[in-house]
Amino acid sequence: MLTIKNLTANVDSKEILRGVDLDVKAGEVHAIMGPNGSGKSTLAHILSGRDGYEVTGGEILYKGQDLLRLETEERAQQGIFLAMQYPVELPGVNNMTFLRESMNAIRRSRHEAEIDAVSFMKLVREKAASVKFDQKLLKRSVNAGFSGGEKKRNEILQMAMLEPYLAILDETDSGLDIDALRTVADGVNLLRSPERSMIVVTHYQRLLEYIEPDHVHVLAGGRIIRSGGKELALELEAKGYGWLLEEAAA
Amino acid sequence: MNQQFKDYSQVVSQYIGNLPNDGGDWLVAQRSSAAERFTELGFPHAKLEAWKYTGIEGLLKQGFETLDKSPEFAEHAVLNQFLPEPVAGRLVFVDGVYQADLSTCDAVGITVGNLRSAMAASDRTVLEAIGSLSGVGDHGFAALNLATVHDGAVIRVAAKTSLEQPVELLHMATKSAEGQALRSRHLVMLETGASANLIERYVALDGVAYFNNLVCEISLAQGARLTHQRVQHESPKAYHLSDIHLGLQADARYHGINAAVGAAWSRTVIHNRFLDRGASCELDGIYLAGDGQLTDFHLDVDHAVPHCDSRESFKGILHGAGKAVFDGLIQVREQAQKSQAHLHNANLMLSRQAEIDTKPQLVILADDVQCSHGTTVGQLDPQAVFYLRSRGIDEQLARHLLCLGFASEVIDRFESETLRLQLTEVIRQQVRG
Ligand SMILES: Nc1ncnc2c1ncn2[C@@H]1O[C@H](COP(=O)(O)OP(=O)(O)OP(=O)(O)O)[C@@H](O)[C@H]1O
Ligand SMILES: [Mg+2]
Repeated sequence: MLTIKNLTANVDSKEILRGVDLDVKAGEVHAIMGPNGSGKSTLAHILSGRDGYEVTGGEILYKGQDLLRLETEERAQQGIFLAMQYPVELPGVNNMTFLRESMNAIRRSRHEAEIDAVSFMKLVREKAASVKFDQKLLKRSVNAGFSGGEKKRNEILQMAMLEPYLAILDETDSGLDIDALRTVADGVNLLRSPERSMIVVTHYQRLLEYIEPDHVHVLAGGRIIRSGGKELALELEAKGYGWLLEEAAA
Repeated sequence: MNQQFKDYSQVVSQYIGNLPNDGGDWLVAQRSSAAERFTELGFPHAKLEAWKYTGIEGLLKQGFETLDKSPEFAEHAVLNQFLPEPVAGRLVFVDGVYQADLSTCDAVGITVGNLRSAMAASDRTVLEAIGSLSGVGDHGFAALNLATVHDGAVIRVAAKTSLEQPVELLHMATKSAEGQALRSRHLVMLETGASANLIERYVALDGVAYFNNLVCEISLAQGARLTHQRVQHESPKAYHLSDIHLGLQADARYHGINAAVGAAWSRTVIHNRFLDRGASCELDGIYLAGDGQLTDFHLDVDHAVPHCDSRESFKGILHGAGKAVFDGLIQVREQAQKSQAHLHNANLMLSRQAEIDTKPQLVILADDVQCSHGTTVGQLDPQAVFYLRSRGIDEQLARHLLCLGFASEVIDRFESETLRLQLTEVIRQQVRG
């Protein structure tokens, strides 16, 4: 599904990623943990094609093709979805319109017919209920004035609607109450299937209790310094990052 | 005094001399003072603060003339422009000429008609109302309008009448308007406790060049309410100048929703006078300007009495080499305690060549008031564009959706769904992101 080889990247000519390697196979869930400022969001943004990052070396293959050559919207059309750490507010852009335009843009790119209004309404109601997203928020502007948790749920709703092949969740669990955490995890688990993969960026082991990862990686100083199974998350929860950083430095 | 101006002055005096002499009251005395005022003032120029950024050289160069000829047009072309929603009444002007056959009014408690008939019939209420809010004209074009105007709409709503459906005032310019200076003068009078909804539109069939010089006087008696949806969608070669004068008696409520999306050059001036306590004036507006276009809004809201509220909120989208001028003057006089006035102007600049001159002015002389003003000039948020693209939407559509989002706060205030859809479509088609 996704292969990242020795990826290096700069922001404002400051080196942030210093050789990241990652191999995500279809059907797998990978968790990425790591200290603040270690480059997790940078990696997520580069995968989705956000401006402002300069890839200085390495390569990214998505379904066998060079991902870096694709525009942001092409990546989305081919099934990449990023649930953002800080979802953007779009004043005046109706949430429902936004969801529908997204769905149709993706369908058009795949030469599929656009979804008709009735089927869309039915689908959006159903999906909103499944991720416990307040229907009233569908009529409002995208994220404008939403609470932190409402914004995160909106990301999950979008994911549920767009059914991506590779979903990247950047700290979707931060700022969520315990029930919301459960809902987000359920939303993710519903999508889990042999042809879909997920990269879950998180600081908390708790989310990983609900979404069981196949692999856990620690990103620190722009490199993956340790990879392991889900027990690694438990170890980090107990011991913090200090010991790993020391080991990596040694 | 240049040659062009002399010619104009001569035409004006000739016009007044040739007015029909059929017993009607053709406002000769008022016209003569307006003509005198025009001679005094001449055409506006850049040295006048109010005209500093709105040049009229291009307009004068076109040499538009008033020809008083009957328009030639296919009726269905006009019918196609009618709003599909049911209306309480409709007044139609084609190339500035009233079309009695196309105009209707069935509702009880409302009289619609044209100024020409009212003058011919010496209708006192109408004649006295002319100029009562506007005076003879505070700039050359307004004076010229009064001196030479021959027609316009007259809409009167009787006391306590509440009209469910809107009244449509449609202006259309056709091919035969080419090269013409069109003048109209509208009067809207709501009696005590009346309530109505007016939809005033300026549309054009072809890419014709003409000059629409309009004055509109709207008086709301005690407790009257008017919602006024106004769309300027003139031909891309047209010039459009509107002076709107509002007079609000006690507890009257006016809500104006304005869109200026057409014309090569357009200027809309809204003057509001609070005449007694408890009145409220809300003004919303959206303007667009692209290559070769200039759009100007001037507001002059005068709080001269206590306990009145005003809210002014205008948004502009500028693209290509478009230019816009926004000047919002709100005055709260010393005696106008307990006033509320909130003025906001936001501009979205989609290109480097686009230009905006915005000047919000809040002049507050009373102390017990709530007032605020704010202006923003900005670009589309790159993070917002990225967010949409990351959901599969291409860049052009992303920018369009964000522009529409920006405009929607104003567009959503149009009560007519047809107008909302039309304006959304205009933005989709015209705005180059
Ligand atoms: N646009 C930017 N300009 C300057 N520095 C940036 C920019 N974006 C990221 N950085 C820097 O890059 C480093 C990595 O940031 P990133 O957001 O990827 O960290 P993170 O691992 O996601 O952290 P957190 O856990 O706090 O979300 C940080 O030092 C950050 O300050
Ligand atoms: Mg981050």
